[in-house]
Amino acid sequence: MAEAETDARRLATDARDRVRFEEEVLELADQVYRVARRLVSSREEAEDLVQETYARAFRSWRSYTPGTNLRAWLMRILTNLNIDRGRREQRTPDMQPMEEGDYFLYNRLEETSGTPDDERIVERLSQDSIVEALSNVPHDFRDAIVLVDIGDFSYQEAAQILDVPIGTIMSRLHRGRRILKGELAESVAGEEQ
Amino acid sequence: MTAFEPICEKCEELIQPYLDRELSEAERIEAEGHLAGCGYCSERYRFESRLRTYVRQACCQEEMSPELKAKLSMLRTPLSD
Repeated sequence: MAEAETDARRLATDARDRVRFEEEVLELADQVYRVARRLVSSREEAEDLVQETYARAFRSWRSYTPGTNLRAWLMRILTNLNIDRGRREQRTPDMQPMEEGDYFLYNRLEETSGTPDDERIVERLSQDSIVEALSNVPHDFRDAIVLVDIGDFSYQEAAQILDVPIGTIMSRLHRGRRILKGELAESVAGEEQ
Repeated sequence: MTAFEPICEKCEELIQPYLDRELSEAERIEAEGHLAGCGYCSERYRFESRLRTYVRQACCQEEMSPELKAKLSMLRTPLSD
């Protein structure tokens, strides 16, 4: 009798923990979607990826340790699934802008602006061109940018999510942002022609 | 505009981790000290900062559909399980 009561209590605690976990995970859905949307190229793919992520998260809820970073735990599922899906074709980074340094895009915009207006110079870039430029960044670099710049993860968290050393995150970010700026500079040059 | 100096190369290296709030205290003080006195780098710092915000805005415009939200809720484990 006492054993049955203990079992019932354990089951009730288990169910309560699971419901709480699922609610917390669902509250993060918008953030998960935002990251997913920039890791893949279409809305449909992002929706599939988010659904797969949630299905797996709900199934493996016991592997989450309460009190640890739930958002990072979810993103790790998401990024692993994205890799498993055999996603996206590899693209060789364009090396040319890499030699230019971090100020490359500013210098390019300033050169072509006539009178440089510090306040408005960034507004010469259209939002569509930014989305397109990001999608042209090769995936390893883009993953790092998306996690840090859109997902608001620290270098350490991004390293854990992608299962790479923190130095790799730093170099991918550095290189990825330069590639992004190179792509943006190309889009500005394209508009001027 | 201030002429580009060797020290600006160091500042350029620090700008991205500075914006990411990932510098050590000593590096942060070094970066801020340089930015405060160098028009060349501070203009570019402001640009990089705005660019970050701009990229973020551009990439976060598309909201998740209510249908997907509903589908995610349906993936929850039924309570009777």
